[in-house]
Amino acid sequence: MKTYTDIVGDGGSNVLAQVQMQAARLQERLSSIRHVVAVVSGKGGVGKSCVTVNLATACALQGLRVGVLDADINGPSVATMLGVRTYTPQLTAQGVLPAAGPLQMRVMSMDLFLPDDTTPVSWTAPTQQEAFVWRGTMEMTTLREMLTDTIWGELDCLFLDLPPGPDRFPNVAGLLPFMAGALMVTIPSQVSQLVVKRSLTLAKEALPRRIIGLVDNMQGYACPHCHTVDVLFPEASSHDTATALQVPYLGGIPFDPRLALASDRGRPFVLEHAETPAGMAFLDLATTLQHFLNVPHLGGGDTR
Amino acid sequence: MKFLCITCDEALKHEETRGPDAGVMSVIFACPGCGWQMAMYTNPWETQLVRSLDVKIGGRSVPAAPMEMLRSSLAQGRQGVPVPAAASDAVAEGGDAPQCPFADVVASAYNEIQEVPAAAADAAIAWTAEAEQRVAERIPSFVRAMARMGIEKYARERGYREITPQVLDEAKNIFMG
Repeated sequence: MKTYTDIVGDGGSNVLAQVQMQAARLQERLSSIRHVVAVVSGKGGVGKSCVTVNLATACALQGLRVGVLDADINGPSVATMLGVRTYTPQLTAQGVLPAAGPLQMRVMSMDLFLPDDTTPVSWTAPTQQEAFVWRGTMEMTTLREMLTDTIWGELDCLFLDLPPGPDRFPNVAGLLPFMAGALMVTIPSQVSQLVVKRSLTLAKEALPRRIIGLVDNMQGYACPHCHTVDVLFPEASSHDTATALQVPYLGGIPFDPRLALASDRGRPFVLEHAETPAGMAFLDLATTLQHFLNVPHLGGGDTR
Repeated sequence: MKFLCITCDEALKHEETRGPDAGVMSVIFACPGCGWQMAMYTNPWETQLVRSLDVKIGGRSVPAAPMEMLRSSLAQGRQGVPVPAAASDAVAEGGDAPQCPFADVVASAYNEIQEVPAAAADAAIAWTAEAEQRVAERIPSFVRAMARMGIEKYARERGYREITPQVLDEAKNIFMG
């Protein structure tokens, strides 16, 4: 009797061919993007989206053509932070036009498809029973559609702001095997260190040799008046965590109250406060990232 | 997922896909060796799982529209974002649209296949209360969705606008011989 592997093809259901076609379309769309970088956190509440938005803006300030995809389907915040939340996606035959953020950053987010502040992401289905079986797949398909069908144009770097938690990154890395790298965000607390260790271990397995490094967000409090930086959390050493897991430690970003204000106003902090300790930290991080990516104006080429 | 005819040691081939109807999708496979057919039914969440992959069983006849799955599946979307109509089914559409699961049987019995105008095919068929009751009483629930589709297809082909107990009798005589 024939075994599963003896039978060639899928019996005509054509599912495999369609999945392969989806992958080909994704590859084609992203062929105009030099580098895709994921920003990941082990734990929620560490300011990952704030880091993504300000890092992307810092890169744009340094002359890169930048896009940001909010990959947090259920908790999107990037559109608000980049001030494009009122934009309604425009459909064309070639795809969907993204929002234009500050410095002409191209932005796509689930937030742009939702009607108001209170509407959650929910999907129509013949039944909501056993929804846990398919909800994750719907979210990954949505992410793939956003990557594939957004008219990104020519970009030097597309940032993916992933949802918190360690579980999504391996799936996204599987979807984007050509991803240039992943940046891990944590805060200097013992609990966050514990979670980020697990996330880093998973990320290293999913994307070997392409972990850009570990960034400490909220590393101290930057006084907006005297520009001194004080301890904000009882320090836990993210540097030790990075060393133990053999990934680069990329330094810290101090918390400045104006960061939160800027996010709420949809105007990235680094645009107007580049000279502050936090602003300079974002610019330094952008430079470090570009060295990792070997971007052309630093003498390097594509990672794809 | 693959299926094997043990008698012929041949892989079954996909013939057609029907539905979803009330969340139930019917996928028909046949053995190229002996012609034996089987139908696979998916329950609503299995159907939704297929849909969530943004694939159509049997293949697509037209490429997916931009962000088709997202726009068609979001329960509440933003005003101004068009909602595609064709994306909600997990089955092949257009030129590859499946035919009545009983079409081959009917055709071989009467040696005729009537062309169904598109408008007629799309028209809703009403069911009388008596016909609904009879189907509910006499047809097991797990095949009811597919039986209803077959009966409606039969009724459309003959230009009926309503399914009555008499139409059920006619269909039964043809389907069951």
